[in-house]
Amino acid sequence: MKGELVEEKVEIISKLTEQITEKFKRSGYEVNPKEISKRLELLMFEFKVPEREAIRTVNNYLMKELDVSREQLSMESPFIKIGEITRPNQWVSFKAKIVQLWDSTSPNVSQVGLVGDETGIIKFVTWAKSGKPEVAEGKSYIFRNLVTDSFGGRMQVNVNRNSEIEEIAEDVPLPPREIKVTGALIAIQQNSGLIQRCNECRRTVSKGICPVHGKTESYDDLRIKGVLDDGENFYEIILNEDNIKALTGIGLEEAKKIAKENLERGVVLQTLRNRLLGKYFTVNGTRGERYLIVNEIDFFRDELGEKIDELLTRLGAEQ
Amino acid sequence: MMKREVAKRLFAFELNRSNHKISQNGEKTPIYVLTPTGEKCNRVFIVGVLLDKEEIRPDSNFWRMRVSDPTGVFVCTAGRYQPEALEVVLEIEPPEMVAIVGKVNVFEGESGTYISIRPEAVSIVESEARDYWVYETAQRTVERIERMETERDSEDIALAWQVYNPDLNEYRQKVREALIVIKEEFETFKVREEEKKEEVKEEKDADLELDELEFEEEEWDLSDILGE
Repeated sequence: MKGELVEEKVEIISKLTEQITEKFKRSGYEVNPKEISKRLELLMFEFKVPEREAIRTVNNYLMKELDVSREQLSMESPFIKIGEITRPNQWVSFKAKIVQLWDSTSPNVSQVGLVGDETGIIKFVTWAKSGKPEVAEGKSYIFRNLVTDSFGGRMQVNVNRNSEIEEIAEDVPLPPREIKVTGALIAIQQNSGLIQRCNECRRTVSKGICPVHGKTESYDDLRIKGVLDDGENFYEIILNEDNIKALTGIGLEEAKKIAKENLERGVVLQTLRNRLLGKYFTVNGTRGERYLIVNEIDFFRDELGEKIDELLTRLGAEQ
Repeated sequence: MMKREVAKRLFAFELNRSNHKISQNGEKTPIYVLTPTGEKCNRVFIVGVLLDKEEIRPDSNFWRMRVSDPTGVFVCTAGRYQPEALEVVLEIEPPEMVAIVGKVNVFEGESGTYISIRPEAVSIVESEARDYWVYETAQRTVERIERMETERDSEDIALAWQVYNPDLNEYRQKVREALIVIKEEFETFKVREEEKKEEVKEEKDADLELDELEFEEEEWDLSDILGE
């Protein structure tokens, strides 16, 4: 317990330190992160000063040390495109449209949902204590001074007290939802193949236990969770029984037979891996928040001759 | 958790000349290798011919494989920490066409640095996958070469110029050679298909497969293995 607590503290301190260091760096000031961490730790954990006050105190101290005013220390984060967000703990600003609002499940969160521009879509969270006005689905805004974060392996942006949200008349375009991709299937996840689903909620059941309904009656299903990669982007895809049957001739009945003959369900996954992994596919799909929903999938079979000639022309003559 | 790394496409010729590691501060941040055309890669995807496999020490269950593309040879090493890949490696009999996705590693050896791929997944594929991979890798490489010329100020590209100062024409030449290998194969294959139709249909599929195999081996540039 104590170890975990220490670890959590260390994490909070390092996160805040990075945010402060970044802020000063943006205005061209190098500050010593060790010094910041030391001060934050003293204030927050020794003297139990609230986080907000601790940050303000450290900021004030640094401004005094460096002899800069609040105005000089530009408070505005750089404008970026949503597609460029790849690292947590960065201060960013962008122009974007609210794609979708979800129900907040926590009293600490006043709004949660998706925002997007033409380069991508990302989850956003507005903290209740930020005191910011609510945004509306389908409207576009300029968001200033949000902090990027990583949650459950996905990037998101957080609206905090220092953020500003301004509604604009412009309609920010979103990335096309229907896309066609050709890429290699570079991973087929372990929870693929002949799986079992809960009779009540269709969730996947592991060893007869549903994550929601506990010990439960289940039925068999065939699916693949995989990653399609074209060297520039990756797409997480889910293939259902129909998709799998179209590609391999193995449907649910065939899969059950394979499992029965081998007395082992895992053989189905092995067989699917042998048939599909490392090969190229063309997918027509609809972009969701995490997954590319597959409408159509087939082995890549276009003629390459013309494409190769085009590329040779682009390379120019031998020198 | 980190955002998943895209599997980059590059030819063996380029990967084998990459020796500059980029590691960011902080724990658990991925290690990248900067390539001469300014690609920062952590994960790669390759398709080529598995030439041979050998256990590094007897009973170590640690295997070294050589996989050839039209420009050179990739060295891959798989051990017990890559159980899925290892399972396939143990069963495979070279020569065989394989697709491998894995992480790149740079080692400091006695005679300089060398690079290898640690496979996450290995699978047997047909020559269609190899053809498309060569085309796709050629395309990505051309894009990088062009960016090296037009975006000299961007961070990774500036660093690639500083570290490698590459002769871009050499890379263009390698891409050209790789594309021509694939193109010739198409054409030979077409001719052969027609010849086959004219001949009496006694030629069995097995024979044809053998022919193709020999043909491919002649086409690969083996200088890298012979030189080592």
